[in-house]
Amino acid sequence: MTATATEHRPGLPGGKYLAIAHIAARQAVEDRAAMVGRVLFQGLILLIFSRLWTVVIADGSLGSHSMRELLWYLAITEWVVLSPPLIHLEIEEDFRSGDVAYRLPRPVSYLGSRIAEGFGTMAVRGSALAVSGFVWASLLSGGLPPDPRGLVLVLPLGILAASLAVVCIAGVGLTALWLQDASPAYWIWQKANFLLGGLMIPLEFYPAWLASIAGKLPFAAMVHGPGHMAFGFAPDRALATAGALLAWGAVITLAVAATSRAGLRRLDVNGG
Amino acid sequence: MQAAIEVEELGKTFRVRTRRQGRGGALRDLFATETREVDAIRGLTFRIDPGERVAFVGPNGAGKSTTIKVLSGILHPTAGDVRVLGLVPWRQRRQLGFRIGTVFGQRTQLWYHLPAGDTFDLLARIYDQDAAVHRRRRAHYVEAFGLGSLLDRPVRQLSLGERMRCELVASLLHEPEILFLDEPTIGLDVTAKAVIRDLIRDESRTTGRTLLFTSHDTGDMEHVCDRVIVIHRGQLLLDQSVEALRRGYIGRKRVTVKSEEERLDLELPGVRVVARAPHSTELDVDVARTSVADLVAAVLARVHPLDLSVEDPPMEEIVRAIYSHAEAQP
Repeated sequence: MTATATEHRPGLPGGKYLAIAHIAARQAVEDRAAMVGRVLFQGLILLIFSRLWTVVIADGSLGSHSMRELLWYLAITEWVVLSPPLIHLEIEEDFRSGDVAYRLPRPVSYLGSRIAEGFGTMAVRGSALAVSGFVWASLLSGGLPPDPRGLVLVLPLGILAASLAVVCIAGVGLTALWLQDASPAYWIWQKANFLLGGLMIPLEFYPAWLASIAGKLPFAAMVHGPGHMAFGFAPDRALATAGALLAWGAVITLAVAATSRAGLRRLDVNGG
Repeated sequence: MQAAIEVEELGKTFRVRTRRQGRGGALRDLFATETREVDAIRGLTFRIDPGERVAFVGPNGAGKSTTIKVLSGILHPTAGDVRVLGLVPWRQRRQLGFRIGTVFGQRTQLWYHLPAGDTFDLLARIYDQDAAVHRRRRAHYVEAFGLGSLLDRPVRQLSLGERMRCELVASLLHEPEILFLDEPTIGLDVTAKAVIRDLIRDESRTTGRTLLFTSHDTGDMEHVCDRVIVIHRGQLLLDQSVEALRRGYIGRKRVTVKSEEERLDLELPGVRVVARAPHSTELDVDVARTSVADLVAAVLARVHPLDLSVEDPPMEEIVRAIYSHAEAQP
């Protein structure tokens, strides 16, 4: 009883990846410990910064921004960076342990399936973190941002940004093919988000030369772009951020796909 | 008849980084790495016909997993020619993927927090299976492998034996013509091992599916396979029927007796003491000359056993015996 060609019914293009994203989302729902951990970590970060801003901003504002705006900025940027799962660890483990031996013979792209899993997990975690972030920020800042209409724009921008982050983290994971360890690249990714993305402090507070450099990089589009919507309803700015995210998305996806092809060509799976 | 697997003069060389000695060496390593070549497989040639159940064995580092990875298209060989179902694995991996299945005992393809049935349904999508065909096959395998009561439980709650039954079904659902099994019984207890061996053997007998089975456990190859290929240091050492191997090399058991008495003395044909400690005696038994039943009867007549275990000789020992035999040949 072996398979015949007539029993193969190729589905819609991308259907396999949707199915993978769907099962990953279901697994993320079941993995409650990981979800609760992130929600608590998100709350802790916002709590610490709300206390810190209270001390630093004696007169209740920094530049043109109020403490409430800054806390909502942080809630949004944290939401973007905490939503993507750490798929670089899974990719690294695939190569380190030889699990890739299970995945490569399947009629589906290895990188595509890992990214699809990332999207599925992100959909669940991102939803939970959006709700918890809203609650934490409202409680700790004492209400909604001064112009809450900006929050409407945060949703599409945040989803685009976190999706791009999933692709970037997959690229980080692929460095394990050369370095045996993806953590150095992940460390750089994290610090780049922190410094060049304006994770904690908006880029407006940076020296002009640094803000100008950071503004041309994808980290600012991913982190500062959605975060800036805490300062007001700015559809033009949101459109520009979305454009930048889509353009960077195309460039980075092509680069990660090329990295994957090059890496898999030189793959020497552990074992023997 | 087209071979299921044809391997000719296969070679695979890995380039391994070497580290220089001392602080200066470590510094130089940062700027220029030194590598050396390691031959994982050298001039390996064999052919497997459709429906054969072949044990592919050898000690650690013999090149078994590397060979399987070349056959499933994961690794590119350095030399030689390979055809699996008429396809070149590393060039036609996607096409081959529909026609082969893999089970790796130390890896999992099941989603840990979800019931195994969810993975089965996902694999149906990945392998482009018609929904009605998938439902029929799934029902068949769930019954054949006794998974009915397990399907609603998350994989994390399954025992290793239960999980391995699910892994097997996951690899069979697209009805591969060849199933590669890499140590599928590793870590299992005696009962679970026996169940898995029976399932694999019976399924292959019923469907005519070709099996290539790697294991360190001689019991696996005796119970499941008809033919055995032994490799050592990447080279073919032996290719014969399991029956011939049993006659030549695996007709022995290792029996350990722990007794109330300090010493056990036995004089039976084909039985020799290989290790002795107070209250513990390890015996090597040629079962063609003295059966395990006769040996146990003799032990019970002489001492009060506290514990008694019967095991196959380790694979390393068998390979050593084959190797010394091969070296002794002119």
